[in-house]
Amino acid sequence: MLLSLILLPFIGSLLPLLAAHKGRTVCSWLTAAPPACALLLLLSTAPAVFQGELLTIRWDWIPALGLNIGFRLDGLAFLFALLILAIGLLVILYGHYYLSAKDSHGRFFSLLLLFMGAMMGVVTADNLLLMVVFWELTSLSSFLLIGFWGHRRDARRGARMALTVTGGGGLALLAGVMVIGHIVGSFELSDVLAAGDILREHHLYPVALVLVLLGVFTKSAQFPFHFWLPHAMSAPTPVSAYLHSATMVKAGVFLLARLYPALSGTELWFIMLSLVGLSTMTLGAVVALFKHDLKGLLAYSTISHLGLIVLLFGLDTQLAVVAALFHTVNHATFKASLFMSAGIVDHETGSRDIRLLSGLRHYMPITAALGLIAAAAMAGVPLMNGFLSTEMFLGEAIEQRVLGGWSWLIPAVAVFAKVFSVAYALRFIHSVFFGPKPGPLPKQPHEPPFFMRAPIVILVVLCLAVGMLPALIVGPLLSVAAASTTQTILPQYTLEIWHGFNLPLALSVLAMVLGVFLYSQRHRLFNLWNRLPPLSAPDVFEFILHSILVQGSRRITKLLESGHPQNYLLILFLFTIALAGAALLQLPSLHGGVSMTAIDFPSLAIAMTMIVAALGTAILHRNRLTALLFLSVVGLGVALVFARFSAPDLVLTQLSVEVVSIILLMLILFLLPRQNQRDSSVQRLWRDAVVAGVGGLSLGILTFAILTRPLDSISKFFLAESVSGGGGTNVVNVVLVDFRGFDTFGEITVLAIAAIGIFGLLDGMRLFNPRHLGHHYAKDRHPMLLSVLNMPLLPLALMVSLYIFMRGHNLPGGGFIAGLITAIALILQYLTNGLNWTNERLNDNFHPLVASGVMIAGLTAMGSWFFGMPLLTTAHTHVHLPVLGEIPLATAMVFDLGVYLTVVGATLVILENLGKLKPFTSQPTTEP
Amino acid sequence: MLEIVVPLSLVIYALSALLTILRMALGPDIPDRILTLDALYVNAIALIILFGVYLGSTAFFEAALLIAMMGFVGTTAVCKYLLRGNIIE
Amino acid sequence: MAYVIGVLFASAVYMMLRRSIVKLVIGLMILSNAANLLIFTVSGMTRGSPPLIPEGLTEPAGVVADPLPQALVLTAIVIAFGVLAFAVVLIHRAYEVVGTDDLDKMKDTDT
Repeated sequence: MLLSLILLPFIGSLLPLLAAHKGRTVCSWLTAAPPACALLLLLSTAPAVFQGELLTIRWDWIPALGLNIGFRLDGLAFLFALLILAIGLLVILYGHYYLSAKDSHGRFFSLLLLFMGAMMGVVTADNLLLMVVFWELTSLSSFLLIGFWGHRRDARRGARMALTVTGGGGLALLAGVMVIGHIVGSFELSDVLAAGDILREHHLYPVALVLVLLGVFTKSAQFPFHFWLPHAMSAPTPVSAYLHSATMVKAGVFLLARLYPALSGTELWFIMLSLVGLSTMTLGAVVALFKHDLKGLLAYSTISHLGLIVLLFGLDTQLAVVAALFHTVNHATFKASLFMSAGIVDHETGSRDIRLLSGLRHYMPITAALGLIAAAAMAGVPLMNGFLSTEMFLGEAIEQRVLGGWSWLIPAVAVFAKVFSVAYALRFIHSVFFGPKPGPLPKQPHEPPFFMRAPIVILVVLCLAVGMLPALIVGPLLSVAAASTTQTILPQYTLEIWHGFNLPLALSVLAMVLGVFLYSQRHRLFNLWNRLPPLSAPDVFEFILHSILVQGSRRITKLLESGHPQNYLLILFLFTIALAGAALLQLPSLHGGVSMTAIDFPSLAIAMTMIVAALGTAILHRNRLTALLFLSVVGLGVALVFARFSAPDLVLTQLSVEVVSIILLMLILFLLPRQNQRDSSVQRLWRDAVVAGVGGLSLGILTFAILTRPLDSISKFFLAESVSGGGGTNVVNVVLVDFRGFDTFGEITVLAIAAIGIFGLLDGMRLFNPRHLGHHYAKDRHPMLLSVLNMPLLPLALMVSLYIFMRGHNLPGGGFIAGLITAIALILQYLTNGLNWTNERLNDNFHPLVASGVMIAGLTAMGSWFFGMPLLTTAHTHVHLPVLGEIPLATAMVFDLGVYLTVVGATLVILENLGKLKPFTSQPTTEP
Repeated sequence: MLEIVVPLSLVIYALSALLTILRMALGPDIPDRILTLDALYVNAIALIILFGVYLGSTAFFEAALLIAMMGFVGTTAVCKYLLRGNIIE
Repeated sequence: MAYVIGVLFASAVYMMLRRSIVKLVIGLMILSNAANLLIFTVSGMTRGSPPLIPEGLTEPAGVVADPLPQALVLTAIVIAFGVLAFAVVLIHRAYEVVGTDDLDKMKDTDT
């Protein structure tokens, strides 16, 4: 059940995409269904959770890394999951009306649900690593959501900034989690929470704490990382309401709560959280008053409230934790409704600029009333939920004695921030909804549809209900959440609407009076504000990014990626040589002790031939044809080496491939025009020569070193099992089609893919007019002598290939070689008689051949399944393919037939398609 | 008799292979080089056959057969290229 | 043998560092030959005893060459051809789009 809770949003994220063409209503309903189900599921677990039970599930994922898939649902997770799902549902309803017809409904809702699933994962993960995975997923999906209107520059910028900041924080968090895992020895949450004392004692504790807090501060937009949140307001308003008030920014808060038992209770914890929280709270409140953009105001207000919550965690008393969680819930309700109201204003008037808006209560009285109540909750007016939690906060702030003689500073700053908070709440309401009717607006304002308002109504009713009947509505939830946060029994506390006349109440009243006064004096303040030098966060941010990161990386990129493919190759070669060289240098002695085989003259001659040929290729590379000839000599030499050192199968394969390659290169030489000789500079020639020489030398030494060392081979098994198990006396072939049949299957698949890829690449390709300067060609296309001579060769070659194929299992030969021979025989017909002539006599579509080859091999392999045997066999299990029991030879042969067909087909597809390309000699071609 | 002749012929053919490669390096013309390649194929056939005789094994005879066939195809392809440019028309 | 592989590798690298595409392809071919030879030789150089089992026996008589590297090299040869063909066609396509076979001129990654 727990699993389906998390999976539902993820699975659900596919639904809107599938239903996108079915119309908006269907799409929205389908989107709402999974979270609704999940919410019901969650509520059904409520009795258990409220009993204090801990619901968990767990599977091993990568136990070696300590990474397991585990989820847990306790009070804290329940609280956050409730927020995520409930507000998510309201946002979906709101989003249905908010999005215009131009926006892609399916994409939006899909991303929203993806984000929802990621958040659910964060709050329910029972493994810290898993939590980090989901944490990053929230960053990614929020990036996509903020950048939903990708055509707008500010959206792209805001999304990029959010991703950079929160993603960077995520990295820090990952590192912090690693350190915690290192200290505790486990990533399981239950272990980590129980190991609080070990953690705090450990000398790496400060590192872990700072890294984790970096993650928290970036995610929850704490000073000095707060700047991304206002710019994330370029997202569609439902996204702002959901991500940037209720859920994602609360992920940091959640993490603080989650790790509270493990990390809290130290000086460092207190100092970092209270200082950051305090400064964020003040800064956010002050800046919010001066924002002319409705959403900007709300964004800074969110920052301020998040600062308040972080500060509460920093105060580090159990009641402060209760207050923090309480305020988290309250903030989510009133801020989401405020965002939605702002969205409605934007939607119905076309503007979000407070300076333009005024007197909207004449047009949308209900929205105005709802906004008023929500803003009052934000300002902490009595009877609202915000009042209760701020009272608790002020009470805690007064009670604490952590700063010694300076302890009064915290409540003082808190009141200061609250003054501003009252002022901006007033501004949000008074300037927008009250006052004279507005001047000309982009749209004529009017009330939105009922259901667009419905989510706000629900949230506002909640604000009021919690404010008036706190103990009844959130009391149990809060206590179970706080209990699972602190992992201890909570002290007695009361949630009541009226605590009597006390200091916090007096401070609240003071703040409210001052706030109203401040608001009345706002125009002077604005003048003062405007004199401050303008500083645009994105500009600063991008300047830093640009000057340091981008320029630096660009320089490195320029150094490495010069645009010369040769330089890349050079770097690769140098690196490889350095690697191998370093390993070689560590050898105590080059000679491993095994004596070298005596050199006989024929071997020496072959070796010399090859060396001369290779050098000849390199030196005479100017003349391409000569280089090619030398190349085929090298190939021939390799074949002779294979012959000399007892590998008959390899000789056959090498020879056939050699010829096919020559034909291929001839075709390519023809297709690529001869160009004027270009000389590289002398230095470059030398440089390349030296690199090549060093590379060759090190490889030679490597070979020498290996050859002179004793060798232990695993082939004894193959040699011993070949006849009894594989039923063939040619061990190489048995290895190919039997012992390592799966490899072979993979390789013919590669060959088939290569052939099809080439076909695709060549499809529709046209040739330039080849510029064969001053070369006169013979006029006779197909010399009679040649074609007559070739005709008898075809049956001969086919017979040879059949012979080689049939005996393959016992003597040198087999599917690969036979396939190549057949292919060459057919190609020869193309060579001598031309394309048309041959295609008249031969079906020129070789694709079925390739496909059937792979299929035959595959079916043969799978055939063993019908006999209850594993697919083919693997070298590990050594369970050998005893399909059809007494005639194992037959299945191996069929498999080989598949190989044969694939090779023939692939080779012919490649060569024939290359040959088909015709230069357009008759008509001049235009450059593309 | 055979145990002297076969190694001797092996040496001689190896030497001839070396000489052919020398000719290929020297050139002077493309047709010359193509001919040397063909000659080298013949040498290779001889080497392999002699080697098989020397070992008393028939396992390598197919290789010789194949060189004979493949060598021909290779030479044809190169010649065709020289004559017509496009080898598959 | 070590010398041969060394020289083969050296000329392959040298060819691949040249500017013309065709030379790159030739270098690639030599390189694959060198690599095949390397795999083949490091498995031990056994003369004159191919891994064939005489008729009527179930195990080879005496020492024979190692069959496993041979099988690996055999497929490697064929695959090398496939890769080569693909590379060649890719290069041709690139040549057609860019209009040059000079690798130094293929700088613009957008074309």
